[in-house]
Amino acid sequence: MLETVAQAVINGLLIGGIYALVSIGVTLIFGVVKIVNFAQGEFVMIGMYISFYLATQFGIDPILSLFVSMPVLFVIGVLVQHFLIRRVLGPNDMPQIFLTFALSLLLLNLALLLFSANYRTVHTSYSDEALHFAGLYIPVAKLIAFVVAMILSLALWVFLHTTDLGKAMRAASQNRDVATLMGINPNRVFCVAFGAALALAGAAGSLLMPFYSAYPFVGQVFVLMAFVAVVLGTLGNVIGALVASLMMGIAESLGIQFVGADSGLIVVFAMLLLTLAFKPNGLGGGRVR
Amino acid sequence: MANRWKLLSLAALVIVPVALPQVVTGAFAQDIFIRILLFSFIGVAWNLMGGYAKQLSLGHAAYFGLGAYTSTIMQVDFGISPWIGMVAGGIVAMLASLPIGWLCFRLRGPYFTIATIATAQALMLIFLKFRDFAWGAEGTTIPNLGSSPLMMQFETKASYYYVVLGLLALGLVITYIIEQSWMGYYLVAIGEDQDAAEAIGVNAPRIKRDIYMISAFLTALAGTFYVQYIYFIDPATAFNFSISIEAALVSIVGGIGTLWGPVVGTVLLETTSALLQSWLGSSTGGIQLTVYALILMAVILWRPTGLIGVMLEAWQRFVLRKPARVRTSP
Amino acid sequence: MEENRQQSVLTKVHDKDRDAHPMLSKRQSRRKFLQKAGGAIAAGAFGAVPLRGWAADAINIGALYPTTGGMAQIGVGCVAAAKLAVDMINEAGGIKSLGGAKLNLIISDNQSDTTVTRTETDRLISGNKLSAIHGCFASALTLIASEVCERAKVPIITGSSTDQLNKGRTYTFTPFARASQFAKAQLQMSKLVSDQPKVAVIFENTAFGTATSNGLKELAPGEGVEIVMFEPYSAGFTDASPLINKVKASGANALFSVSYLNDLILIVRTVKQVGLNVAINGGSGGFVIPDFYKNVGKLAEGLQGVAHWNHDMSADSEKVNVEYKKRTGEFLFEYAGGLVAQTYMLADALERAGSADPQKVREALSALDVSAGYAAMAPGGKVKFGPDGKNIYGRPLGVQWQDGDLASVFPKEDARKPLLKS
Repeated sequence: MLETVAQAVINGLLIGGIYALVSIGVTLIFGVVKIVNFAQGEFVMIGMYISFYLATQFGIDPILSLFVSMPVLFVIGVLVQHFLIRRVLGPNDMPQIFLTFALSLLLLNLALLLFSANYRTVHTSYSDEALHFAGLYIPVAKLIAFVVAMILSLALWVFLHTTDLGKAMRAASQNRDVATLMGINPNRVFCVAFGAALALAGAAGSLLMPFYSAYPFVGQVFVLMAFVAVVLGTLGNVIGALVASLMMGIAESLGIQFVGADSGLIVVFAMLLLTLAFKPNGLGGGRVR
Repeated sequence: MANRWKLLSLAALVIVPVALPQVVTGAFAQDIFIRILLFSFIGVAWNLMGGYAKQLSLGHAAYFGLGAYTSTIMQVDFGISPWIGMVAGGIVAMLASLPIGWLCFRLRGPYFTIATIATAQALMLIFLKFRDFAWGAEGTTIPNLGSSPLMMQFETKASYYYVVLGLLALGLVITYIIEQSWMGYYLVAIGEDQDAAEAIGVNAPRIKRDIYMISAFLTALAGTFYVQYIYFIDPATAFNFSISIEAALVSIVGGIGTLWGPVVGTVLLETTSALLQSWLGSSTGGIQLTVYALILMAVILWRPTGLIGVMLEAWQRFVLRKPARVRTSP
Repeated sequence: MEENRQQSVLTKVHDKDRDAHPMLSKRQSRRKFLQKAGGAIAAGAFGAVPLRGWAADAINIGALYPTTGGMAQIGVGCVAAAKLAVDMINEAGGIKSLGGAKLNLIISDNQSDTTVTRTETDRLISGNKLSAIHGCFASALTLIASEVCERAKVPIITGSSTDQLNKGRTYTFTPFARASQFAKAQLQMSKLVSDQPKVAVIFENTAFGTATSNGLKELAPGEGVEIVMFEPYSAGFTDASPLINKVKASGANALFSVSYLNDLILIVRTVKQVGLNVAINGGSGGFVIPDFYKNVGKLAEGLQGVAHWNHDMSADSEKVNVEYKKRTGEFLFEYAGGLVAQTYMLADALERAGSADPQKVREALSALDVSAGYAAMAPGGKVKFGPDGKNIYGRPLGVQWQDGDLASVFPKEDARKPLLKS
């Protein structure tokens, strides 16, 4: 019994790492640019396709293709912010939401058009291997994904707290007007934030490739969990998103194990609604940290 | 001069929709009209809350689904007419909006929106899982009764058209009455700045709760109609996120916080979508929605407040010969 | 212009005088021109994709499949098969009793969505004079299309397995095995690999999964199979590990998964990762398509499933398989092969009906009784419909992945290759 619980926790933790990469991107964008990016899942999908093509055309391992997918998505993020998002930033938040929603629809269908609906899988030497000990097993590919996800999250945190640009981003997220008065160029900061967030999404895609198949709708599967994690961990709070993602992964896994295989999401939503009932701003309070 | 225009347009407004299905008899076209009317109605229901009071809910599918399931359960299990079921569904939705509202209205901004999404999703999951009272994930078809107006089943499409036209008229009338009443002013005040409104004595929580109930009631009516029209219900269809999105989208594209905004938006979006499906639907997968998404993005980027503003401006400039209005806000 | 088209009364009577009545022939050709032009405009306006000429008496068959959305790969394959079938029939001379009239395939995409299915079925029927429809792959979608067809009185023929399609309908025809039959076959196959089968059943919780799994639950005791786990799950999960964890905890030695493709891929791979020693029977659906093998690779070898149609059933089905492979590069999978047979069944009905009128076609379909030719491509080689639209000879095949292709292995009389034990 204990073994089952332990295994469920491990499973949840590992997939939580992926949720974290996606949700940190969303929360970063929200914290700095103050918009909800509905298209985040589609950028994960782009990352997956990039890795897929690098793997099948050049034989590059998906994990290594991080070094390509992250910069590419960073650039895409900057372009999206500069040419699209910037034009709808204003007091009214409805156009922003629907712009990212339309963007999501666009990317999804472009992918369908260009890549067709077929599932794309990459098999690496470690794709289906697992470490076994004490009756538990840890899939190697997921473990690597988890470790890299944690490293990237840590790197982001360090960036936000020690570099000037990072501090500028946090300043802009706390109070845009004062930050502008202090000489921070909001658009530049937003571009970096968007770029970084999308780079994380791209990383998530590359890390997923060894054990998850790519197809145009793959982003939708992860983005729902990511959004719940973002809200749970307080919008704008990077550490909150990370912790919430891991918690949610574990909750989902335990829910499937003990409540029912179709109840994973119900447990997660119950967690969300209960949290919001008592802590309307999520677990973290309300500041970007 | 203006009076005659007004009378003419009023007459056209009544006569054209009523006569339309008699003139255009193609089932394909009639289907588009029905969809336009239905989604206009859902948009109008949403607009009461999302447009005037600026409470951006993306979870209205919850009420749509509750209305749909209530009337279907009553019909399939107890043989009660969907006309009664429709009203019952509306009441169920109103009651559901109370706890959901209590939870969600404590939240502001995007938290509110995401919480509404979560409630609709949660309802979907509940209906997916519990197959004892509502057929679970499989859903059910409604019994084929042929022509049975008392059970809201008709042989001709035109009859469905008139039912949903009636619903839309109901929604517009209610919106008009609210818009012109003190409640309308309070809603706009809350939408512009809730704190300021409360500071001058507006009972924001109560107004929000009331408008949410009305909005939920109307949305549920649409849910019942929908099941009767497509002969089928299951949780994925009834609580579909795209219904929530469309409800908001048509209002935003058409013009939030205006009486006719949702109708304008629906006409544009649904027609575009139907035409694209018709021209491009049978070729490579994905192209019609790609074009649709591009058009949507173009509209949002060009006129974030909605296209009805453009139409009003054009009307004023070319028909009424007034000078162009200076736009003060985006 | 075809050679054998039925002569209209006017030309027949005035044939010898045709030169003497120049007005008559001009009127005929003008009418034909208008019909063609009108047809072209209508086809263009409704986005129809007619495939074979616009002759006034082509017979319209509707095909409704998900070529976009979650089930797109299968839909695309189905459309390719539909086109192939129509081409084959037309090249062989079309419908002889209607003067060699060609079949005109009108394809529509239901976007893997219930609402779109509802409106597209309507649009297909009302925008064209259809004699029949076939579709839609997913049981949930086919149920809706069937509702519309029943009310519009147009016959629909389908390979979808849900038993609900045979309840209270007169225009719906299902030539292939039903979900309950699949269940029985799966249970019997589990006894092939183990004497004491302990089965874990996981299934996606919509019409497809529920119908099949209910059949499993009911029939298991009668077949001497013990079900140790019975769990519905929500399709499209991010991670199969929790589910497989549960399977492991249940002590099962066989796993029945009733799933669509994306989940199946994850399930099979996760079972390998966990190192779980279970015999997987992947049922039907996404398990028996080439894409499954493409994504899972060698892991698929030896996995068993059930199908309502397989290309190695008969020489006819292998012939069609070869043609399909030429066009698409992949082997002809269950649903696609089945619909080729269905198109031939429609052709057979049209021949006997001598009319393109949908109600007459329905009459002819209900009297269908074939045991040879492409129309009889079914397990057992015979098709005859009972009053509820079911094929009284319908039964499923047990199949197994061998060398990247599907081989029929069960029951004995349908086995084309021996069962590989691993």
